[in-house]
Amino acid sequence: MNDTSVKTRFLYGAQAGIPVVLGFIPVGIAFGVMARQAGFSTLETCLMSLSVYAGASEMMAVGMYAQGAGILAIIIATFFLNLRHIIMSPCVFSRMKASKLGLRLLAAFGVTDESFAVFTTIPEKQCTPAFFLGLILVTYSSWNIGTLIGAAASDLLPPIVTASLGIALYAMFIGLLMPGLRGNFRLFLLVLFTAVVNSLLSLCIPSSWALIISTLAGAAAGVFFVDLKDENSAKEDGDEH
Amino acid sequence: MNIEILILILGMTAVTYIPRAIPAVLINKLKFGEKFEKFLRLIPYTAMAALIFPGVFTTDPDRLYIGIAGALTAGVLAWFKKPIIVCVLAAVGVNMVLYAVIP
Repeated sequence: MNDTSVKTRFLYGAQAGIPVVLGFIPVGIAFGVMARQAGFSTLETCLMSLSVYAGASEMMAVGMYAQGAGILAIIIATFFLNLRHIIMSPCVFSRMKASKLGLRLLAAFGVTDESFAVFTTIPEKQCTPAFFLGLILVTYSSWNIGTLIGAAASDLLPPIVTASLGIALYAMFIGLLMPGLRGNFRLFLLVLFTAVVNSLLSLCIPSSWALIISTLAGAAAGVFFVDLKDENSAKEDGDEH
Repeated sequence: MNIEILILILGMTAVTYIPRAIPAVLINKLKFGEKFEKFLRLIPYTAMAALIFPGVFTTDPDRLYIGIAGALTAGVLAWFKKPIIVCVLAAVGVNMVLYAVIP
């Protein structure tokens, strides 16, 4: 692969990250505001986003801290909340097997629900390390820019805009999921089944556990009753109209 | 900087990074069977289903219809293979209109 195509793939990845930015900036701002209210300095708030880079757990952490929870308890809760990445990361790296270990260790830092979702729904041929690095550079930057804005100057966006942007990441997941379900009724049923299982489980156990269990259970069930088209036939299907 | 918060951030960084990195290290050391490969290929679909439901209904915990309207907008556009960014902007736009017209 020559330099130009590496650069092109990187830019494609960066471009694929734009819908994530729409979700990350406002949530980052919300986190920044929350952390300052919980007693974190601007520097501490930004350092957390720079080094942890996992939005939901960061919000939970400052929330627990504000309520007087111990450091160890917060770290343990963070571990369980973010454990879901251990089932997403293999899907990302099974598409980057040929790359060097150092590069994979760098890329691992950028594995989030969102980068995983974007990277694993593009055709496998387009899954290059350059694409993933472009994607995570844009998403990582937007999370940290959002955090900085929130920590330094809270309440910058009008409330109606902030509230409306709450749907952004969900809309992105829907946008990524839907095309794969067209023409595959059994896969559609599997997704529906997983959604129902997760919704029911979330009522009785912590949602981070519900997500892990329903994802694994759904995929395990799917092995036996869903037919996945291979990449080539999926592509033909995409060009049908 | 508060030393306690520094320890908190370092601890959180470690426990978050390790589950992300373990598969990056092991991916070439493990040989997956055909069934397991299929299992891995299904995870994006089931994980996204779980990421969307039931969370999307509580986008605004006081207004159930906000999440439903946004999800339907994105869902219909995605079904017709509109670009992701179009789905996202349209869902946000619909929610903005709803917030503006329903006090």
